[in-house]
Amino acid sequence: MRLLNKQLSILIVFLAFYACDSFVETNLPKSQLSSSSVFENYETANAALMNIYAKLRDTGILTGTGNGLSNALGNYTDELTAYGTPTSTNMAFYNNALLPGSTVISSLWNASYNQIYAANALIEGLDKNTWLTSDNKKQLLGEALFLRAVVHFYLTNLFGDVPYITATDYKQNSTATKIGRKVIYGSIIADLETASALLPVSYSSNARGRANKLVCRALLSRVYLYNKSYAEAANEASALINSTNLYGLESDLNNVFLINSKETIWQFESASAGQNTKEGSIFIFTAGPPASVAVNTVLASSFAAGDQRKSKWLKAITKGTDIWYHPYKYKEQSNTSASKEYSVVLRLAEQYLIRAEARAAQGDLIGAKEDLNKIRLRSGLQNTQAASKEQLLAAVQSERRWELFTEYGHRFFDLKRLDQLDAALSSVKAGWNTEDSLFPIPQSELGNNPKLLPQNPGY
Amino acid sequence: MTAAISDYNGHFSIQASAQDTLVVSYLGFKTVYVPVNSRTKIDIVLHYDTTTLQEVRINAGYYTVKESERTGSIARITSKDIETQPVTNVLATMQGRMAGVNIIQTTGVPGGGFDIKIRGQNSLRTTANNPLYIIDGVPFASDPIGYSQTSTIYPSSTSPLNSINPETIESIEVLKDADATSIYGSRGANGVVLITTKKGKSGRTKFTVSSSTGAGKATKFMKLMDTEQYLAMRKQAFINDGIPQYGTSDYDINGTWNQNRNTDWQRELMGGTSQLNDLQGSVSGGSEKTQFLIGGNYHQESTVYSGDFKYKKGGLQFSLNHASKDDRFHINFSGVYNIQNSSLPANELTYAAQTLAPNAPSLYNSDGSLNWENQTWQNPLAMLNAQFKAKTKDLVANAVLSYKLMPELTVKSNFGYTDLRTNETRTTPSTIYDPIYNISSSRSSMFSNITGRSSWIVEPQLNWDKEANFGKLGLLIGATFQNQNSSALYQSGTGFSSNSLIYNLAAAKTVSVLGDDETVYRYQAFFARLNYSYQQRYIINLTARRDGSSRFGPGRQFASFGAAGFAWLFSNEKFLKNSTWLSFGKIRGSYGTTGNDQIGDYQYLNTYTTTGINYNGTVGMQPSRLFNPDFSWEINKKMELALETGFFNDRIFTTVSWYSNRSSNQLVGIPLSGVTGFASIQANLNAEVENSGLELTLRSLNLKIKNVQWQTNFNLSFAKNRLVSFPGLESSTYSQRYRIGQPLNIALVYQLKGVNQQTGIYEFEDLNGDGKISYPLDRQKTVNLNPKYYGGLQNQLSYKNWNLDFLFQFAKQQNRLVPMGAAGSMSNQPARTADAWLQAGDIKPYQVYTTGVNNVAVNADSYFSESDALISDSSFIRLKNISLTYQLPLKFTETSCKIVFQGQNLLTFTKFKDGDPEFSSYGFLPPLKVITAGILLTF
Repeated sequence: MRLLNKQLSILIVFLAFYACDSFVETNLPKSQLSSSSVFENYETANAALMNIYAKLRDTGILTGTGNGLSNALGNYTDELTAYGTPTSTNMAFYNNALLPGSTVISSLWNASYNQIYAANALIEGLDKNTWLTSDNKKQLLGEALFLRAVVHFYLTNLFGDVPYITATDYKQNSTATKIGRKVIYGSIIADLETASALLPVSYSSNARGRANKLVCRALLSRVYLYNKSYAEAANEASALINSTNLYGLESDLNNVFLINSKETIWQFESASAGQNTKEGSIFIFTAGPPASVAVNTVLASSFAAGDQRKSKWLKAITKGTDIWYHPYKYKEQSNTSASKEYSVVLRLAEQYLIRAEARAAQGDLIGAKEDLNKIRLRSGLQNTQAASKEQLLAAVQSERRWELFTEYGHRFFDLKRLDQLDAALSSVKAGWNTEDSLFPIPQSELGNNPKLLPQNPGY
Repeated sequence: MTAAISDYNGHFSIQASAQDTLVVSYLGFKTVYVPVNSRTKIDIVLHYDTTTLQEVRINAGYYTVKESERTGSIARITSKDIETQPVTNVLATMQGRMAGVNIIQTTGVPGGGFDIKIRGQNSLRTTANNPLYIIDGVPFASDPIGYSQTSTIYPSSTSPLNSINPETIESIEVLKDADATSIYGSRGANGVVLITTKKGKSGRTKFTVSSSTGAGKATKFMKLMDTEQYLAMRKQAFINDGIPQYGTSDYDINGTWNQNRNTDWQRELMGGTSQLNDLQGSVSGGSEKTQFLIGGNYHQESTVYSGDFKYKKGGLQFSLNHASKDDRFHINFSGVYNIQNSSLPANELTYAAQTLAPNAPSLYNSDGSLNWENQTWQNPLAMLNAQFKAKTKDLVANAVLSYKLMPELTVKSNFGYTDLRTNETRTTPSTIYDPIYNISSSRSSMFSNITGRSSWIVEPQLNWDKEANFGKLGLLIGATFQNQNSSALYQSGTGFSSNSLIYNLAAAKTVSVLGDDETVYRYQAFFARLNYSYQQRYIINLTARRDGSSRFGPGRQFASFGAAGFAWLFSNEKFLKNSTWLSFGKIRGSYGTTGNDQIGDYQYLNTYTTTGINYNGTVGMQPSRLFNPDFSWEINKKMELALETGFFNDRIFTTVSWYSNRSSNQLVGIPLSGVTGFASIQANLNAEVENSGLELTLRSLNLKIKNVQWQTNFNLSFAKNRLVSFPGLESSTYSQRYRIGQPLNIALVYQLKGVNQQTGIYEFEDLNGDGKISYPLDRQKTVNLNPKYYGGLQNQLSYKNWNLDFLFQFAKQQNRLVPMGAAGSMSNQPARTADAWLQAGDIKPYQVYTTGVNNVAVNADSYFSESDALISDSSFIRLKNISLTYQLPLKFTETSCKIVFQGQNLLTFTKFKDGDPEFSSYGFLPPLKVITAGILLTF
């Protein structure tokens, strides 16, 4: 026993001083992959790209949840009315009382730049890459550029001058400066053109969940329209409208937002089979009064008689003499055995309206009417009575309001680009101020990067 | 020679011959020699020998040291202090009892956490200020085990510390200075908490059973408006905003809700009484060479919410010590296994209780069902249908083998193993919604978190002790190898066929794996201690450690730490040896370095992480972080000087210690602008933080006469925290968080000037003079949120069979009041807000009411909530603990029976207006005041 103990203790002492650096070296955790190896094969590089789409769907500006623009800007303008507690985020939007320190604002901002980072990381990873085939590289690169452009497009429309980020280097990005709208639009257009050149016309996802060449052109047409470059806007819209093998207007309004709608240009696929849209789950309610939001009476009462968009895209909920409407573009509130609807980001009807506006602005009234009437007739309305250019432009705006309500903030962006926010909202929104045309830059950002100063006016 | 040990009552019997002399000794008492003189019954009274408290051996981790000879700064409490407290968290037992140790409870919900800071905040990284916990020699990782999606009831993710059962603890030692902590090297910067569990003692087999039961209630709520004040505010808001008609959803004033109702929602929703039950038992005993202890305990408590919510905790404890016949070989084995089982609401009701209109409808219909008042409100009780369930099992086992090779040389090794498993679920059933909406279980959802953490540690050591005329020399060398594996699986399920199946993921229509990970942390070290003592007068203690940690990148894994400590027992010098008044005197000091590796694993790697989220049939991957491979160890330098003195046989004993610790090369997640895509980057920051302070302790035996004894313990800590230097602070992302020369825990606030008499809007100092109030340049006033001083005063009184022990805890500090948003919308407000501006000319402390549409007022309110107006004195004196024990005068020699009444947080004196002053955060259930009664039986 004693001998054994002695030997044991010598062994222990030996062990103790057998210093090995390798003991404190560990393997990668099982959920992580080194960044270089991600780009060594298509599957993992593609997974990095797919995650950006998933992030857009689930967080930030384009998510269908309450913080996304469909709901937030619906409340911010005259599309939705917020119910529920005064401290809910809906209420802050509804009252046009956004605070720079609020987490809603910072999460919109942070999520967007995180998405942009992921796109840039992918672009940089592909740049030096020698492992992937050039087709694979073009596909991934094109989509990443497109995604980078989309996010910047919405950021600048919400926050005004913002940094345009094209690299991952945090040392540069942490002191990035704000860039004027014009330059940002230039960068967006350049990214979209490059993406469009890299991507094929065909969809790489049957569900139209990934960007192809035409998705880039569809966004370009909107960018040009916002930029008042009407000829280019009309051209780009025509590229979509003329692709009749891929796209066409659905004749029944109830089919427009179904998964297989021919009208869809780009939509977010769901995370799992059976899931439907987040818009459906937050907008739909089955008994009044509403718990969170309902369609603003200003919008509900604006539809012309016989407009099927009111009967098919709004749903009335009554209780006694009270009546409320909820948006009913998406019919499914919860999961179904197979997914029936995905959140549609870009669809053909918008392209018709873009071209109508662009044509009217350029003086092509006949062409404009033709496009406008396509949308009106589909909704059960007569041809437009508008005769002059001004009347026609106004008619297009009304049509956009009825056609595109609660879809990613069209109403807000349209009023803003046409300088009509005050005129349209002052009378119907008690909290509206001229300065509300821009969101506040998150307060923490001003502290973390003083180059983002000054704060937007009014905050 | 024979020996005997007395029972609980002090009775003993012994075989002795008539001429023998009995030697009676007990730790802390003077030894007496009693000649038997043929007597058969001898009454012996032992007298306190306070000096021998200096003989107690203090656990210093790798070694023990006699209290009188210690060179380091170590605070200590024992089971005697712990047993008087009806608490379940180990940190709670230390509150107010240790100088330099500041502990704050973060929620009154059972199973919730505590914040601890030992001698202040060293690291700018707010999550990296935790001490190192060691249970019987085994490091116990205190990193959270919860998941943000499941443990939503707690302010921060579930802490594993709740697994430690205070009742199994014999003593807690807190190591504070460099002399004591440097031997823990890279993990000692924030102090070390050593927990020693109870061990068996040789002698008669002893059974202990105790049982107690009690009740708890929330300490203190905010004072909010009643219906009259509230409705007046609401009506005025509409007038102020020029809105002639109440909106359709303004149910509180448009006639929908009864305007005569008046409910105090805080009492209604959180004013319930929680029931506590506690049962413990143990058997211990053994022979001279082998001792054992087996114990078990069970505790359960309900909550202050209505509904069947429970927090249960049960555990087993086992300890075995054995020495070989020749006393050369020793083995100590101890194991503690604890299970916690909680079933709690998923969400706090504090927020609802503070904001609901006081005339909101009643919770229940007359038939007992939940009242939804025609869909005009979200019944807060429905939220209780969303539940949080957690089951945590935790094992800590440890074996120490030692063998005395030579009289001076001992080889020893410590083997430890820990295993923690936790399983948490949070459900959101469709029943949280108003049934009229017909929301079915197909929209119910649940989140689950399965986290496991296991570790092993091996610490071989060599110990050499030599005593000769040159003095006493002790040498210790050792090594540590530690490996910790953590795994976490986060899942969610939505769409259940029935709400009864909501805990079954297999019954969910959609299951998502939100995270599935395994991480490894490895740690290796060599350490040494050299202790030299000359004539019980001069002592030098040198410690060193070389550490390697897997948390750092290649080439940066190793670092060295060390310290030197000394003590001079001047009372042992000839000129004082026979002093009548000074019984003990020691000056001690130390200087040394420690480090901090609380940065999380793998942070230096550039990787992509799988997200578990699917798009287009592919599970996504995302960049894990902004990476920096070059960060390295944070260095913490500690200095201490202390004077310990005992007077009149140590009846009065005082300690005064001064310390100054500096942390540099701060390892932090430097916040970045969100434009970078991430919130922070891990890097070393050339900033230096100083914690300095003065700690006073006083122990005094005030009164000691026949049957009566009164002893007082007092501790007081003045702590100062200061950012010494931070090159480039102004241009860094910390520019709006810290100020050089100020503590880390400051608030930068706007300065309220008052309410403009004409406009009724708050006005603030326009510091940069640009004519408007804006962030950040006008938000520059600095407010110190660190306590100025804190401490505790404990009194122990005994009279015959009665024992009374009470502790007052106090702190001098400021804190934030609760910001409640702009007053006037459909949300209740602090009652003080009733004194608001109404019309031009009014001089009022609170601004104009608004329904929410007055942007100027809403904005001004947001500045107000970040202004000095919301900083209030939150100093307090609290009767933290009181315990009254009565020992039944039983005739049985070997049996004792005590009746125990205990109270926690019973009285609080404070000027703080918004609830409990101890709280550092708002929006959570305050700590509970608890009263229990129990019985303790020993036989």
